[in-house]
Amino acid sequence: MYDWRIIVRNGLPLLTVTASIEIIAGQILQSGEKLLVSIPLLLVCIPVINSVGGNLGSILGARLASALHLGSVEVTLRDPQLRENIIVALLIGLITYFILAIGIYLFAVFIGIEAGDVDVLEFMGIVVLTGLLLSCIVILVSVLTALVSFRRGVDPDDMVAPVVTTTGDIMGILFFFILLQIFGVGV
Amino acid sequence: MHTGEMVKQSLPLLILCGFGAILTWSTLSGMTEILESIPGLIVVIPGVIAMRGNISTALGSRLGSAYHLGLIDVDNLWNNDLKQNILGSLVLSVLVSIIIGFLAYLTSLLLNVSPDPLKLILIVLLGGVSSAIILTSLTIGIVYVVFKKGYDPDNITGPTLATIGDIITMLCILGSAYLVEVIL
Repeated sequence: MYDWRIIVRNGLPLLTVTASIEIIAGQILQSGEKLLVSIPLLLVCIPVINSVGGNLGSILGARLASALHLGSVEVTLRDPQLRENIIVALLIGLITYFILAIGIYLFAVFIGIEAGDVDVLEFMGIVVLTGLLLSCIVILVSVLTALVSFRRGVDPDDMVAPVVTTTGDIMGILFFFILLQIFGVGV
Repeated sequence: MHTGEMVKQSLPLLILCGFGAILTWSTLSGMTEILESIPGLIVVIPGVIAMRGNISTALGSRLGSAYHLGLIDVDNLWNNDLKQNILGSLVLSVLVSIIIGFLAYLTSLLLNVSPDPLKLILIVLLGGVSSAIILTSLTIGIVYVVFKKGYDPDNITGPTLATIGDIITMLCILGSAYLVEVIL
């Protein structure tokens, strides 16, 4: 039943699109490479921030997709249950980033990753604020992707995860660099 | 959509995955030297990781469906359907790796960084294909064990591959970068 040519034909378009967007994320990384290489702690925490953002958006999207399929949520942003879910997801994101910020710093000290002149409070401020901004974006993108794809008759389960993780990867790196500027790290 | 269960089930999982990510990505702190010496290398990392994740989870979920359709099972694993799936994943890995290397080179040129195109494409290709071979073998191993135990592969392959996929891919890119740096 399976034919490798069909697998390649089905997979290639979406993979090419996500690869191209990830290259943009990579170029933003390269623009800050000097700073990241001189303070490896910063280099290490970017993928961690992004993976939590991607997971948060995917969980909310998967929950919303099931609720839409079951008809228990209206296809509108005014639905009170949807609003409650959005607020709880935001809180979960905040708590997770707060705990992980402490975790990354402690682990970095433990295995001897260079932290430069970034102290623990500054680091936590940067990670938690990046996380908060990123949570807002992934929640927004996840809800909109689920609602729009459902309205157009596309299964939201197929759409939300790839869309949320790729936009999250770019926005996470952007927010992180903006906060580094605000906190004056590496200036 | 009860929010209580999201807090109870998702919050601990998110934190756990976060700590997993810390372990995986601390390997990056050992890569700073090679990142500096090969311009463009940092550009391809998010792309290769995303490609690997997408291709292996798709393979895992196709094998899950193949099992439910009765096309493969524990006594009939190494058959044409499995081989076509493996070949499809490997061909995709080769094609997308070349695309990633090429796009990274082109966009770098536009931004006035000039990487060695041959080096960059070779690193992505070697890293992409070696991680594909390792993760595909691992997927088949996982699927075999899951069949033997009588579990549903859909519940197991996705999270397992996502957790170990990133670290294996990172190590493959790192290994390829060193190898290419020595050869060229």
